[in-house]
Amino acid sequence: MFHIGILQLTQNLDDAVRGFKQGLKELSVEADFHYFNADGNINELPKLAQELAELNVDLIFACSTPAAKAAGNLVTNIPVLFTPVFDPISVNLVDNLEFPGGKLTGMSGMVNADDKVKFIQELLPNVKRLGMLYHTEDSNSLIEASNFRKAVTDKFALSELTITCKEDISLLTETLPQDIDALFLPIGRIIEENFASIAYYTDAIDVPIITSHAPNVVLGSLGALVANHAMLGKACAKQAHQILIEGKDVKAIPVGITDKPEILLNAFVADNLGIEIPASLLAKATEVYE
Amino acid sequence: MLLTRKSVELLAPVGTWEVLEVAIAAGADAVYLGGKRFNMRMHRTDTNFDDKMLKQAIEYAHKHNVKLYITINNLLSDREIEPMRDYLKYLETIQPDALLVQDLAVLELVKELHITIPLHTSVMMNTHNEHAIHKLKEYGITRIVVGREMTLPQLSLFRERTGIEVEYFMHGDMCISQSGQCYHSGILFGQSGNRGRCLKPCRWAFKLINEDTKEVLDENGPGPYKLALKDMCMYRNIPELIQAGVHSFKIEGRMRTAAFVERIVKTYRKAIDSYIADPAGYVTNETDWQDLYENRSRDFSTCFALGKPDASAIGFTGEREPRFFSQAVKEASVDSMVPMKDTQQATLIADTYKPMLSVRVADITSLKSACENGANVVYVGGEAFKPHKAWTLADIKEAISITKKYNAKLIVTTPRATMERECSELEQLFTALNEIKPDGVMVSNMGSLNLAKKFTSLPIQTDFSFNTFNHLAAKLLKDNGSVMATTSLEATYAQIKELLTTSQLPIEIIIHGPIEAMLLDHNLPAMSLGYNPLENPDMCDKHFALLDTANEIHPIRIDQYGRNHILFAKDLCLLPYLVNLAGAASYRIEAQHYTPELVGVLTKTYRGELDKLTNDLQNYQYDKTIAEKIAKVSPRELGVGAFRYRISR
Repeated sequence: MFHIGILQLTQNLDDAVRGFKQGLKELSVEADFHYFNADGNINELPKLAQELAELNVDLIFACSTPAAKAAGNLVTNIPVLFTPVFDPISVNLVDNLEFPGGKLTGMSGMVNADDKVKFIQELLPNVKRLGMLYHTEDSNSLIEASNFRKAVTDKFALSELTITCKEDISLLTETLPQDIDALFLPIGRIIEENFASIAYYTDAIDVPIITSHAPNVVLGSLGALVANHAMLGKACAKQAHQILIEGKDVKAIPVGITDKPEILLNAFVADNLGIEIPASLLAKATEVYE
Repeated sequence: MLLTRKSVELLAPVGTWEVLEVAIAAGADAVYLGGKRFNMRMHRTDTNFDDKMLKQAIEYAHKHNVKLYITINNLLSDREIEPMRDYLKYLETIQPDALLVQDLAVLELVKELHITIPLHTSVMMNTHNEHAIHKLKEYGITRIVVGREMTLPQLSLFRERTGIEVEYFMHGDMCISQSGQCYHSGILFGQSGNRGRCLKPCRWAFKLINEDTKEVLDENGPGPYKLALKDMCMYRNIPELIQAGVHSFKIEGRMRTAAFVERIVKTYRKAIDSYIADPAGYVTNETDWQDLYENRSRDFSTCFALGKPDASAIGFTGEREPRFFSQAVKEASVDSMVPMKDTQQATLIADTYKPMLSVRVADITSLKSACENGANVVYVGGEAFKPHKAWTLADIKEAISITKKYNAKLIVTTPRATMERECSELEQLFTALNEIKPDGVMVSNMGSLNLAKKFTSLPIQTDFSFNTFNHLAAKLLKDNGSVMATTSLEATYAQIKELLTTSQLPIEIIIHGPIEAMLLDHNLPAMSLGYNPLENPDMCDKHFALLDTANEIHPIRIDQYGRNHILFAKDLCLLPYLVNLAGAASYRIEAQHYTPELVGVLTKTYRGELDKLTNDLQNYQYDKTIAEKIAKVSPRELGVGAFRYRISR
């Protein structure tokens, strides 16, 4: 029986935890879990991580970048598996993806920017000018914005738009370019949480939103290409098996990335905006919200 | 009466199967959860149970001797009635221990389908008085989740007078507005808090300003999150709660994780058992309290349980706010309605169709102004917003003599929230009105409806606060003596249109005026500015407002009961859509916050348009400049309210 600590930032990550537990069960890894959820409070994470260390767990499953950082900063050698961390290199969790080099590895939550560009092209073939809205204080947002910018090249004209704090969203009515055909939202907590206020303004100018956060699709985004959190959790369970059962060294277990991002679509939004979703995409979609 | 293990029920929230198991293992006596359809937690589809899981959950709970309640506490629009019928039929086959309901239509459906499951009213039914309970009992309600504004002594009185079982939110996330009376999210975002989709404008950052001078008053105040009520926690007051006769101790949090729910259930279980075993020797377990406190989400407050809360109940800094759901946005202006697909399709109306134009006013001068300019009905009474004074019986008599002269009707309204004090006052008022003989009364909740029925023989209308969204709710109101219902302020054009064709009860639509986003029993200015209202009674006469981050100004109006009404920044103006709304029995201008001059302008304008419309609907053309003229003389910009949306979700 192993003792596994789970450190979670918000309930939005429940699926990852569920997938992780399910994965361990399927691999017959017997474990009891010490579960801590900071309920959105990032400042609580170091304390909670410390508590897990004091419980002397065999492994910590850290959900989200701040949770991974908190677990990584512990002065113990407890192995840490993280997901969904967008870019573990830039936030100094690992040295490189193939050979992490320390006590942390896991699954990136990233979906390849080229795939996202292709998805937008397929969903909205007439888009010429695409807006991109991101939060400049969020390191993951900056990375995805940078990746996306490179992937777009000459496929669309890109109008970039930034916020520095959540209240900036209130003023989007003044800053949102009127000539964009669609708005792309890279990952980033502030943008994702306050999505309704962004959609409020884009609805007024009939601009569809492509999000990077699955729950935003239910709330009114036209679509998203996302990594399934439950699958990421399951993949982490495999890595846990390698560490706990096979005795592999964490530093040599590569960080994984999803190879099967899922398509989520919102038919109600499409109808409101008078957009016809291509049948090919509807057929491929994991979920189409009505 | 001696306490037993059965005196108290510890009721836990359940969002997933995992939570169900841990809540029961931790000692919950009962659990409540929602299905995939019709419940108050619609944001996260993964935290609700599908039909098959509901059945399994009931079997699981019953195997462990735990009761299971299913929440169907959503408002319904007409198109949802049929699916609700099917759902109720299914629920009857799986027999949960109770259903939690909000919409009056469900009471009708339960009767029609001979559903045998006991009914509990949701907190969204906003029950604050015994008269509502007497009525609800006739519809088979066996338990009430009481309004959050009730103090423990009020609860005791309540229970003694009605014998009803009381359920009380005693731990977790709270609303600062009266439940069921918060329209902010529903009207602004088209995602209604009364339909499980609240985007929590109460968690936005605001500045407190002087509405007239725009001066910021709280530059050195405690922080911008003025409506961010802390979480309820009654752990340190379990003896008071039990002795007040609260039967069901309700924990909030159907979106919470297993670990979170488990800790709270365990801690309260232990404390309740310990108190019941030896009430006189009970002491609070400080270790458990510490654990509960350290693992709290927001900071704690006892909210209204022990009396009206002060500034300490608000988390002004926002530091412990777990997450936000929206940020302030500019409200929709008067021309931002969704395109109406049936714009060209003129409504069939009879030649004899003569809708009423009604105007709600704050004083005699405004009343005269309304009458002179063509109002058919004038509403007086109810809340008087300071510095206006409450309507005296003498005022009402005078008002009647004026309306008679103009061949108009006078209806006396009553306050939206009626607790012990207001109900007693209403008994007196209704009795007196029998002598004074206005043309009718208008009531705002089930309790005042019941009181009016009992104490007067005057015609009774029901106001928007009943949240009337569908024809079955209207039928229930009709069966209980209402002669006209006002539509919900959250209803969109399509929903009102549907109601107009299906309702057996004549319908009134509010077409113009300031509308209320929230109704609070707190004193916001005093909480933010830290003054003592007793020593500064004149402060209530000032016009305060909240400035949000989209630079919208929300006026705060304080009524004679001390309640705070937070208005939307833009006043509703449905003038451009009047032609599409033909078919209503009455159109209302809410003019309580307007000057007598503006009351005159508005009444005259709407009178003119209504006359043109009824005289020749086919050739009626709306002239855009009319709304522009009104806008020029209005104190606030004009908006379109819920009409921005195709349907309210």
